[in-house]
Amino acid sequence: MSTPAADVNPVHKAVLRLQTVLLDTILIASLLLMGELQWVAFSGRRGSTGLLMPAEEILKILDYGVLTLVAFVIATAWNLFYRDIGCSPGRAWVRGEPPWERDLPWQHTLRGWFLALFVEFSFFTGWIITEVNLATFLTKFGKAWDIIRGLLHPSGAVLDQGLILLVQTVFLAFMATAFAIPIAFFVSFLAARNLTRQSLTFRLTYTVVRTIMNFVRAVEPLVWALIFISWVGIGPFAGVLALWIASIASLAKLYSESIESIDTGPMDAIAATGASYLQVLRYGVVPQIIPPFLSFTIYRWDINVRMSTIIGFVGGGGIGYILKPRVDLGEWGEVGTLVLLIAITVWLMDLISAKIRERIV
Amino acid sequence: MSATAPLPAPQEAVRIEHLGKTFPSGVRALDDVSITVREGEFLVVLGLSGSGKSTLLRCINRLIDPSDGRVFIFGTEITALTGSALRAMRRRIGMIFQQFNLVKRHSVLDNVLSGALGRGHMVRSLFLSFTPDEVAFARSCLQRVGLLDRASERADRLSGGQQQRVAISRALMQRPEIILADEPVASLDPALRHSVMRHIEALNREEGMTVICSLHDIDLVRRYASRIVALKAGRLVWEGQPEHLDASTFREIYGEDAEPASNSSVEEEP
Ligand SMILES: Nc1ncnc2c1ncn2[C@@H]1O[C@H](COP(=O)(O)OP(=O)(O)OP(=O)(O)O)[C@@H](O)[C@H]1O
Ligand SMILES: [Mg+2]
Repeated sequence: MSTPAADVNPVHKAVLRLQTVLLDTILIASLLLMGELQWVAFSGRRGSTGLLMPAEEILKILDYGVLTLVAFVIATAWNLFYRDIGCSPGRAWVRGEPPWERDLPWQHTLRGWFLALFVEFSFFTGWIITEVNLATFLTKFGKAWDIIRGLLHPSGAVLDQGLILLVQTVFLAFMATAFAIPIAFFVSFLAARNLTRQSLTFRLTYTVVRTIMNFVRAVEPLVWALIFISWVGIGPFAGVLALWIASIASLAKLYSESIESIDTGPMDAIAATGASYLQVLRYGVVPQIIPPFLSFTIYRWDINVRMSTIIGFVGGGGIGYILKPRVDLGEWGEVGTLVLLIAITVWLMDLISAKIRERIV
Repeated sequence: MSATAPLPAPQEAVRIEHLGKTFPSGVRALDDVSITVREGEFLVVLGLSGSGKSTLLRCINRLIDPSDGRVFIFGTEITALTGSALRAMRRRIGMIFQQFNLVKRHSVLDNVLSGALGRGHMVRSLFLSFTPDEVAFARSCLQRVGLLDRASERADRLSGGQQQRVAISRALMQRPEIILADEPVASLDPALRHSVMRHIEALNREEGMTVICSLHDIDLVRRYASRIVALKAGRLVWEGQPEHLDASTFREIYGEDAEPASNSSVEEEP
């Protein structure tokens, strides 16, 4: 368990320094790029037609390379002379704020102004890039009224088929959750920092498992559904697999976080009796994590029911499968029926899961 | 084997040689500590908060790995053991914690039974299954601390003093030869402290178990200790009999009144 002291390790120090400068570079570069984007958009330079120009056109003419380089230089300088000019955001993030700035209000630090500017720029950049258009929002409501009227007058035509597929939807969510539990349970122990400190192998496993989980979570279940459809074909099984893999990643994260927050006292006490590591896990860890695990699992099942209603949009089975073509054809009465069915189910599941979790906690 | 040979001195139970511990954070929690504890002693460890008492006790059963120095248990160097040999040695050393460290959601009896984990069947134990002999012995351990009637209750339903008595019977379940107690009564109501200390004393007097116990309360120290060692900033600064622990020695160990200026350097905790 004896690891080298963190503060005197030169490799660790270099990594920290690199992290700091990288973070600052990213922040400063995005600030500079946002600035240039707005400058181009509002000034009409470089063949720009000002605000009428589509954002993707502007994005093409920004000087990414130059600005990143400039940002890197600024970030490095800032971190070299941070004692004189104030702590940079990256440094504050990685190392914590230095004592002489800790209690200052944000207006009194360079970092504070910098971050405030970043928020403000983000807002205007977002306005341009997402093509916010208040005029159309306020004047073109008429078309949407047709849909709402349809939803308010559901047709009975798809009720039978809808109910059958609704049952499929609920079971799809159930199977995905049930298959995910044992795997997530096992993985979560490898993804908990406090259980993976003993050796290099464990720390490596931790990093690998965490990285894979982060990647899996970064990919939306709908994308997973597309992947599994090409694997096992269109239908509910592809939906089960898509939600299954998404559930493993999300449950493993939630589980491992609750493992990380356990009281280590009982682990010490069990280890002190001469118990093996597996026994320490069984007695010192497992009893403490059962309530949060149950609660997270039900929460995930709840999410899976919601997700399974739309996973059919891409061919993953469930009620979404018949909803999509009706939306495309504009059969709003039938869409209304299906949406109502989904709403009632999700509402019921919500209610049930809240009740169960109340009982446990 | 001549009749004139002197009676053998009590065998040494724990020998600590030049023990040192530096934490990854750089804190030097123990520095060149050497102590020998003979069988049957009730050794009390004194010291300010942060002086290294817990670190010392945890180095003895290797819950913490010391950075340098060695620890011998009945002549075997525990600091050189690993794996099952280390676990076998730990079985002979019971430990009692300030925060009791019971498995809160388990029953009182299951908590006591967990003291037998090092000895029992590995796979069975993962299903919380124990032999009738083990259960019978666990009940007798509970009987000793007067809690047999609470055996099937959840551990966290008991009061602090009762929980600590359960922890004592968990240690008893190991049939240990040495007891380490890290401030066993510090989080208890003063009125309840003797009820817990008396049980530890009984193990020492009646079963001949060697006890190493850190304590804060000077009255408790005088009442229960057979010998005292004192730590200050990780170093051994005093060693002696309880009757020699007078006010000035006490002030020397705890430092506050005697050297107010150096006080901050003694307590390095943030
Ligand atoms: N796991 C750890 N990592 C880093 N430093 C630690 C760790 N455990 C203890 N320390 C430090 O080692 C020093 C000694 O701590 P220790 O817990 O042994 O003191 P103590 O005498 O038991 O104090 P207390 O009376 O508060 O329990 C303290 O400065 C503490 O901050
Ligand atoms: Mg302590």
